[in-house]
Amino acid sequence: MANLITIKINGTEHKVPEGVNLIDAAQSVGVHIPNFCYLKGMKGIGACRMCLVEVNGRAMTACIMKTKDGMDVVTDSEKLKESRKFVVDLILSMHPLDCMTCTKAGVCELQSYAYEFEIKESSFSRKKFGFPIDDKNPFIKRDPDYCILCGRCVRVCKEQGTSVLEFYGRGVGSRVTTAADKPLQDSGCTFCGSCLDVCPVNAIVEADRWRKGREWQYEKTESVCLYCAGACDIKVSTHKGDVAKVCAGGDDAMAEHFICALGRYGFDSLNAETRVLNPLKKVDGTLQETTWADAAKIVSEKIKGAGSGILTVSSITNEDALAIKGYYEAAGVENLVASVSSYSDKASLIGDAVDVENADLMIVAGLNPNQWTRFLPSIDALIRTKADRKAKLVVINSEDAKIAEIADVVLSGDEASLLKSLAKAIADAGLALPAGLDVLGASVSEDITKAAELFKNAQSPVVITTPQLYQAAANLALFKGGAVSVGYEANSKGVTLMGLQSKGLKCTDMVEGKVSSLLTVGHGPLPGRPKVDFWAAIVTNMTDVVKEADIVLPMAAYLETDGTIVDYQGRLKKLSKTVEPLGQAKPVAAIFTEIAKAAGKDISISASEIESLAKETVKVKAAPFEKRTDLHAVSLEIEELIQAHIVNGSRLFWLKEVQKVAVS
Amino acid sequence: MADEKDIKTITEDTSKYRCPIQKAILFLDEFIEGPMCAKCLPCPMGSYEMRVRCKRLAEGQGTLADVEAIKNIAPIMFEASMCKKGKDTAKFIIDTLENLPGVYEAHTDGNCPDKECAKLTAYRVIGDKCTACDECKVACKDFAILGEKRKPYLSGYYSYEVVDVRCTRCGKCAEVCKYGAIEVVNIKDTLAVKA
Ligand code: SF4
Ligand code: SF4
Ligand code: SF4
Ligand code: SF4
Ligand code: SF4
Ligand code: SF4
Ligand code: FES
Repeated sequence: MANLITIKINGTEHKVPEGVNLIDAAQSVGVHIPNFCYLKGMKGIGACRMCLVEVNGRAMTACIMKTKDGMDVVTDSEKLKESRKFVVDLILSMHPLDCMTCTKAGVCELQSYAYEFEIKESSFSRKKFGFPIDDKNPFIKRDPDYCILCGRCVRVCKEQGTSVLEFYGRGVGSRVTTAADKPLQDSGCTFCGSCLDVCPVNAIVEADRWRKGREWQYEKTESVCLYCAGACDIKVSTHKGDVAKVCAGGDDAMAEHFICALGRYGFDSLNAETRVLNPLKKVDGTLQETTWADAAKIVSEKIKGAGSGILTVSSITNEDALAIKGYYEAAGVENLVASVSSYSDKASLIGDAVDVENADLMIVAGLNPNQWTRFLPSIDALIRTKADRKAKLVVINSEDAKIAEIADVVLSGDEASLLKSLAKAIADAGLALPAGLDVLGASVSEDITKAAELFKNAQSPVVITTPQLYQAAANLALFKGGAVSVGYEANSKGVTLMGLQSKGLKCTDMVEGKVSSLLTVGHGPLPGRPKVDFWAAIVTNMTDVVKEADIVLPMAAYLETDGTIVDYQGRLKKLSKTVEPLGQAKPVAAIFTEIAKAAGKDISISASEIESLAKETVKVKAAPFEKRTDLHAVSLEIEELIQAHIVNGSRLFWLKEVQKVAVS
Repeated sequence: MADEKDIKTITEDTSKYRCPIQKAILFLDEFIEGPMCAKCLPCPMGSYEMRVRCKRLAEGQGTLADVEAIKNIAPIMFEASMCKKGKDTAKFIIDTLENLPGVYEAHTDGNCPDKECAKLTAYRVIGDKCTACDECKVACKDFAILGEKRKPYLSGYYSYEVVDVRCTRCGKCAEVCKYGAIEVVNIKDTLAVKA
């Protein structure tokens, strides 16, 4: 933790941490220093000059200043106000004054400063540019006429590694655009919308927001995206019971935060035509509506005891997992598999708590996160952001990993033996070889020595890897730092910790018909109807495969559910219901309670149980340097299958098609 | 930009004018085209705005509000600009305002005391001095001079005239007139010759 020091702000003394940005420090004690171009978490560039303050009597730029002991800061003298008013006044002279209908009204920083400084209309000469608008995609609309040239979007896109936006031209007539002025979809844009989240005005805005309610009408709820292992924080705005938009969670205008197009626009799937609204049962070969009581009764009779099985995805909540466990115990279901068990087990997934965010060296082993294919995109963005801020990066992969393009050292080849060589090189560099670690026979190359040097000099290195390689990678954490493995579903860790990995038959065996009745939860990678006599599917959306089920139970989407998960870094995260489940859909936990009730059983879930289960960590122990072949690799193909129901029937389908064309 | 001018050269360039507004416009033009980097907001925005205002004054469209705006912008731009270039530019404008007080204001009445703002000035032939030697007509590339060369065997001729709407204020005619018969005056004080 940083030292606390004393600084004076507007005559009052405050204790703040040393060396932090002055805007943040002031904010933490309730003093707002106006700013446009500053982005929390990012280095200040001092461009807009809104944040001018007086430090010990001299005019200084707060977004560039770091706190130092004994600073005497004045943030609101008449002179400072004049100069800020001047900036706002000048900006307004070239800004369309559309506040009455503007989508950003209510959250617009220009609007609120204009109000604060009492500027109704600019006192300077009116400038109008009439730049072309980019609205050729269904996600993001860019209207440069509204731009105030703060550069936040350019920096955020660059820092996370996508680098789509750039300033074009100089001075007053300059604007933000893409290379060669192409529409976003032709510029390598992933439609993550990071630019949109940080734009303080209406220059970059969600394409579908027009007339979807105004900012002050929205109810905002913090939750977590469950569409992939990133488990990103999100902030959901709802209006009249519908989701109006999803933004990256956490502090406003903070660069750390990222969500991908799936997390931001996947909510389309909630209201998609494919949505299952009522319990359905197969009558004469077609699915027909029925009641919950009827459906639950049928399921409870079929899914019990020997010969029955439950198969669930691992993007369900801890509460759901415990309810499923409660039911299979009560009903004596013989086989239970969570998808997480096909690519991991407890030892390969649960480790010591690891702080990826504060690592100064990241070693990415065997993992291939990629924003463009949207495979663990937020992890890709996080790594790129950290690397841009001077954390070191080593990539170890037997295949081509896109993330390698920004690495300090790339080691290609068999990951397990490279990890072994790295361990040897680290020991050669002078760090004591941990007890039980066998590096005999490992050969060291120049690049490995370079990586070992980086490791030696790092304070808190972190290895980010897959379950297959976790134990081999965790050996490095015995020197120092940590290791973390990433599954591909949001709650892989939680489901494992709740004790739901697997019991009885394997997933493939169940699907191949070694059970007679099967209950599936969520959209797993099922290529066709499982070869069983009775199949009940708990799903959010109808697909061609689900049409083959005997019973279909409508499941609440994650935006319609409360609960908790444990993310890949081991953090217990809270989901909050943002809208009511559509139709008769219910959260998984409620569905299992209903089925249990039909069987005359009661299941109960307690929050304290979840908390204590979630705390479990497994101490890292020395292990052989091996890639586990008994575990499936975490792959893009499986992830795409799992996400198909979100993508199909939503705007995201457009994106998939556009990218297919771009690739071919 | 290889041969970009620095602030010092720009300042030297402006010495070719006496009129502070002409100096300011030249300075701002060259600053905006050259060393201004547009990394921060107050400097480019302030420079553009002051240029707009100065041009209005130079063209006789300016009002006291324009002078006020410049007087407001320059010191704040001086304070708020990120680097010395922006500050120097603001300082240059402040100096033009302070060194010759009242000159900006004079322009709002249509007077350019230094007779350098083209739209505020006119070229006029002083009839008593003109000998009808035709030098100016030859020199004028814009056919703005009317008159007929004096022939020794004729008497009774008219003095030459400058046709204001054609005149581009290049000053060539006054340069070549050996008799000092062409003067620059405030346009308000003339009854310009309509073509
Ligand atoms: S961007 Fe802000 S200031 Fe501009 S019209 Fe919209 S609300 Fe008003
Ligand atoms: S949506 Fe994402 S990738 Fe596209 S321009 Fe914005 S920040 Fe960059
Ligand atoms: S588009 Fe928005 S974020 Fe980007 S520079 Fe303009 S105002 Fe700033
Ligand atoms: S990266 Fe994953 S968790 Fe994050 S928003 Fe995208 S799909 Fe959701
Ligand atoms: S003040 Fe300096 S940094 Fe700012 S725009 Fe002018 S020249 Fe660039
Ligand atoms: S040059 Fe002078 S003297 Fe000769 S015609 Fe022209 S105005 Fe008259
Ligand atoms: S916030 Fe400091 S200059 Fe823009």
